[in-house]
Amino acid sequence: MDQLGLLLEGFAGALTPEHLMWALIGVTIGTAVGVLPGIGPALTVALLLPITFRLEPSSALILFAGIYYGGMYGGSTTSILLNTPGESASMISALEGNKMARAGRAAAALSTAALGSFVAGTIGTVALTFLAPVVADFATGFGPPEYVALMAVAFVTVSALLGPNLLKGVASLLVGVTIGLIGIDSQTGQPRLTFGVDALLDGIDVVIVVVALFALSEAFGHLLTGTGHSTVQPLRERLMLSRSDFRRSWPAWLRGTALGFPIGSLPAGGAEVPTFLSYSVEKKLTRHPEEFGHGAIEGVAGPESANNAAAAGVLVPLLTIGLPTSATAAVILTAFQSYGLQPGPQLFTESGPLVWTLIASLYVGNVMLLVLNLPLARVWARLLQIPAYGIYAGVLVFATLGAFAAGGTTVDLLVLCGLGLLGLLMRQAGVPVAPAVVGLILGPIAEQQLRRALTLSEGDPSILVSSPITVFLWVVVALALLIPVVLPVARKRRRALVNVGDGEES
Amino acid sequence: MSDATTSRETAQPAPDPTPPAPGSVDRGTVLASAAFGALMLVAAVLVIVDAVRLPDTTAVVGPAAVPLPVGVLLGAVGAGLLVDSRLKLRVAVSGPPWQSRAGLRVLALVAALVAFALLLPLLGYVVTATALFVAAALLLGAPRGWQVVAYGWALAATVFLVFDRLIGLTLPAGPWGF
Repeated sequence: MDQLGLLLEGFAGALTPEHLMWALIGVTIGTAVGVLPGIGPALTVALLLPITFRLEPSSALILFAGIYYGGMYGGSTTSILLNTPGESASMISALEGNKMARAGRAAAALSTAALGSFVAGTIGTVALTFLAPVVADFATGFGPPEYVALMAVAFVTVSALLGPNLLKGVASLLVGVTIGLIGIDSQTGQPRLTFGVDALLDGIDVVIVVVALFALSEAFGHLLTGTGHSTVQPLRERLMLSRSDFRRSWPAWLRGTALGFPIGSLPAGGAEVPTFLSYSVEKKLTRHPEEFGHGAIEGVAGPESANNAAAAGVLVPLLTIGLPTSATAAVILTAFQSYGLQPGPQLFTESGPLVWTLIASLYVGNVMLLVLNLPLARVWARLLQIPAYGIYAGVLVFATLGAFAAGGTTVDLLVLCGLGLLGLLMRQAGVPVAPAVVGLILGPIAEQQLRRALTLSEGDPSILVSSPITVFLWVVVALALLIPVVLPVARKRRRALVNVGDGEES
Repeated sequence: MSDATTSRETAQPAPDPTPPAPGSVDRGTVLASAAFGALMLVAAVLVIVDAVRLPDTTAVVGPAAVPLPVGVLLGAVGAGLLVDSRLKLRVAVSGPPWQSRAGLRVLALVAALVAFALLLPLLGYVVTATALFVAAALLLGAPRGWQVVAYGWALAATVFLVFDRLIGLTLPAGPWGF
């Protein structure tokens, strides 16, 4: 029960007025950007990176953690009232939630989403508290070969899970890795992919890439298709759950949490999978199957909790191994690095007080979010009345501000513009941008570990499969690559066989 | 939405022998994938050429060890996207149309961003950011009027006050000090 003592010390650190203020600012900004369509937590944290480098590391990280959790809460408000998820993991709650809102049950949907997020977020944070030190302890034995294998797992699963298909996911990942190669090679001092442009010697700042791929591409995309007209469902009553709604909600919250946290904490890709799984589980188990597709409250409660529990789970590999599995986690990893902190097993031993303050602030943030979201839901709903042109023009102003703050030169703004056009092409091609962000941030770390491993073995690649853990992880990589290829083929063959069988019978 | 798909059975004789599958592909998406694949092929060539020209170092694993396989993968995946698009182009259907003068709007926004980058050191943050906001909002279909300028000015001024004066991020001030 070492953790309890450490956590208590963490609370002592998190409950200072200054840290409470940063947590409150974080969750407020997080909820706002979660509500506004087109801005997500990844973009917001990236924009704030160059602006917050004067803060204490603990203050900045508490702020970012608040934005991370807040974004998840805010996203559900948008998907329920507007049917355009502000944030991709909230897609599923739009299915039932928006139907409920159209039937005049917006308040019930928002309540179950907020309470479910709170329950899942808190249970997830408790699980994080006890699991993280164990994983960190286990990971202290990892050397460069294990890290290379782990990153290969993350690369493959992120490509496969964060997009429509593996090919496009890998394409996106490679874009990120290639951009990450630009600049002076840290180990040999050789300039790579700079083509004689001095401004590229330092590489392209993560902030500029994230802002271009998320914000500019979105604004450009709306120039092509128009901003469209969306109807915001009105929210009249106060947020309350009736007794029967509560009775239907709480098992779904717990099931969603049980799915979300474990899947989120695997080094394998984000919150989307558990939300989908939770939805299908609720659909199977419900006693009101007729309501599904027309606004079933379980269909909001389950996926929303799964989403938030997964968000807590994603922090396990991030903090203990330094392995981000979502775009936001990748940007938060950059934040750690900008303060000279390297997430991983050493983080718990070397910066223990900081980590525990951060974890304690997650509990605090969750309580703040519940208070912010239940009584103040109508305030957030009013944000949705801002016309789309205002949101995207405002996003552009902040995007250029972030890019300028990150680089401070005209060239940076031009690079931003060029990458924005690349992001537009990716968006049009249905290539997801999140793997690119993970590739950009994880690529250089993976390269460093790979070269460290090969230097240890004096160039012998067999070191990469020198321990049982690495062999296991490479098998996982192979399976993750093969399953999406083999499954459709097998399914097609089976269908063909069935068809042949039918033909013979008739 | 789903009503449209169920009523299709009685409608028109299909112009295409292969009817669009439920997950039918949008022609625009396919063409964009092809363009993206082609771009990846170009990038592959650049990455490989750049990696080959790197000098040998004494390190066991030189600076080209990672860029070379990345370049090869870029080429392979780019080619894969091209082939995939070629196959899908036959069954692709036209997606939702773009709005009027869509390409021109994108070009105009690019121009606005470049102008912002060039004029920022000369005219100061508030004026250029207001202009960027107004340009973007109008291109995105905002109603014309002084309201948009007022919103833009309010936002730019707030940003300047909070980030320049309060947080201490130095933003270009321009000849008039803001």
